[in-house]
Amino acid sequence: MSRSRAFANALIALVFAAIFVFLGFWQLDRAAQVKEMQKPFQELPIVDLAEVTTPSTNLSGEAVNRIVEFSGSYVAQYLAPNQMDNKSKADWNVALMEVDGGGLILVVRGEGAIELPRGEISVRGRIYHRQFEDVAPLATLSSGQLRRIDPSLLLAEYSGDYYDGYVIAINEERNGRPIIESSRKSAEPTQPTVPGYYWQHIAYVVIWWLMAGVVLFLPLYSKWRVRRLRGELL
Amino acid sequence: MASSKIEGRITLKRGVVIRFRVMALLAGVMSLLLWFVELPVVYLLDAPELAEKVKWIPFVHGYIYAFYVLTAIHFAAKARFTVRQMIALILAGTLPILSFLAERRVARNYR
Repeated sequence: MSRSRAFANALIALVFAAIFVFLGFWQLDRAAQVKEMQKPFQELPIVDLAEVTTPSTNLSGEAVNRIVEFSGSYVAQYLAPNQMDNKSKADWNVALMEVDGGGLILVVRGEGAIELPRGEISVRGRIYHRQFEDVAPLATLSSGQLRRIDPSLLLAEYSGDYYDGYVIAINEERNGRPIIESSRKSAEPTQPTVPGYYWQHIAYVVIWWLMAGVVLFLPLYSKWRVRRLRGELL
Repeated sequence: MASSKIEGRITLKRGVVIRFRVMALLAGVMSLLLWFVELPVVYLLDAPELAEKVKWIPFVHGYIYAFYVLTAIHFAAKARFTVRQMIALILAGTLPILSFLAERRVARNYR
């Protein structure tokens, strides 16, 4: 075997080994995520919306599930049909609020048609990632209905800087007095989903790293095999 | 006829062949379970209770495949397989039918 070919083979083996080692670390990371998910959810202190996110930026993982407070005035409201709540489907009332200090945010206020409160409203609620997949089929929707709760759907209607995600209101106040709304949705924290189980991911770590070892072993094996065969012939 | 076939087989250490054949069969069975039971239950059916019952399959398959790879390398080295043959033998354990075919071929040609 020429030197350049041997060098190319060694390089290919190293590249594959590096990829397999990386895949092993990726599975190790997922195993750690699964373990993290199994821990009971710990509620963090209530914060101002501006402390965890800003308009026109992606909602960070750390911000999701936080209970936030903000105030502003509602400018529009929509219905989001087919939303799942306690294993039953319902049409959620989603209002668009212009937040004091700038930015627009979607707030789930309750179920069905609700009167939109006017004036300065203070909201406390849990913030969630925007919905990535359509919940209601587009063909079934009428005007004022959202196929999913996603601020990007409203950009054409209301231009402005939107906060990513949406908030399920736990409490609303106007002039320091609570707004009673009987159909409020439960604002339970969402659990991030990582497919698979802890020991499954660890098994894949073992396999990927074993494969890395195999890839590094194969060129040596090839040399060893040729020597053995030559030795047997002599 | 049958005796001539047996005589035509290449003789290796008995344990090497048996270990590989057992692991090939186990890896094949686990691959069948993974491809045709676990994956459809988890990704096609909306049945969390059933998914919970089959959750052992992927990680048992994972560890069995790791042992399969080790026995395949050991066997391939003893049988003086080329690198390509060795890679083919290792990859045979990833698909349900191929490991059974590999086991049959080994049983036919080695003892």
